[in-house]
Amino acid sequence: MNELRPNPSNTVPMESPDVATGPDDLELVARCQAGDASAFNELVTRYRNRAYAMIYNMVRNEQDAWDLAQDGFLKAWKSIGKFRGQSSFYTWLYRILMNVTIDSLRRKQIEGGTEFDDEIGLHNIAPGAATTPKCELEPVKRISDKEIRQRIDEAIAKLSPEHRVAIVMREIDGLEYTEIAEQMGCSLGTVMSRLFYARKKLQALLKDVYETI
Amino acid sequence: MKPFEEQFTAWVDGKLTGADLAEFEKQLAEHPEAAAERDDARELGKFLRGHPTAPPLANPDFFNHQLQQRIAAETPRPVEKKRPFFWSVPGLAWAGAFCLTVSLVLYKTTIPAVPPTARARSDYYAQIVEIWSKSPNVTASTVYSPEDDATVIWLDGLDYIPANYALKQ
Repeated sequence: MNELRPNPSNTVPMESPDVATGPDDLELVARCQAGDASAFNELVTRYRNRAYAMIYNMVRNEQDAWDLAQDGFLKAWKSIGKFRGQSSFYTWLYRILMNVTIDSLRRKQIEGGTEFDDEIGLHNIAPGAATTPKCELEPVKRISDKEIRQRIDEAIAKLSPEHRVAIVMREIDGLEYTEIAEQMGCSLGTVMSRLFYARKKLQALLKDVYETI
Repeated sequence: MKPFEEQFTAWVDGKLTGADLAEFEKQLAEHPEAAAERDDARELGKFLRGHPTAPPLANPDFFNHQLQQRIAAETPRPVEKKRPFFWSVPGLAWAGAFCLTVSLVLYKTTIPAVPPTARARSDYYAQIVEIWSKSPNVTASTVYSPEDDATVIWLDGLDYIPANYALKQ
């Protein structure tokens, strides 16, 4: 478990901006801190696609992803005075976007009265036992990309906000456990536990898809 | 000792090493299907990474535009520049009061307070400009008496003054 120790580098993958030219992020941040909204506009242009994709992977809805990305960037603008450059701008932004997204997912969960139970169907599964359903697939059936995306969307939508965030951060954004724990404000053990159940559920929901292609 | 879920996750992700790994794999001897589970979890990860579902951001320029509008709307507007105090109602009132005070001070200091009686004691005495008489011996002059505060018209050369010309008290 030596690799699970906190990583002081505190980096988030995919930090390279969309636009490689022009002033670097810290220079733009300094201008933002002086009240230059056009500098912030430049930062938005660099990271808007990445931010949108990251949020979309959590909420699985284009309009919600757009709105949350807007909220996240607006929050970043309001807080930019507090950015001290201890991490990269994107790491800092990522944390804000993630918090905005998690808050939204939790709010929706409360408002909708939806109870996510990721352990449904897992209660009577012995640790380490095979949990994925044995499904007989039609060998000639070919699933289109659109259908695959739809299945992934549906499957991830069935996860609780916490499990959804954990699996997206780990499997799609490629974050380390320590980074996920830091972003989510929980322990390493909690992160690993959430990943365990999120994977089990996704395996159960998607096995027929990824075994087919 | 960590719960099985945590150790299993770390095992799937290749994060278990050394003694931890050996001990966990010893536990897994009782679960022959665990290796297949691990491979399946890894397959899932590969599948998710290989099928990014996020569509591209539609209208990215509008995204920026909308955000800039929201920033502008939420940024407190600079306080409207106030008119100079002088042109406000209290300013004008104070200016009026000041002018009045200055006027009074100037009046008191530059214009001496002269009683009405003193005003009569002017240096400009009555003066005879022209006389008309049949007798060339008649002359007229004026005398001002400050004590009496009176100007006297003095006529010389008159033989007599008719009774109806006599001064009446």
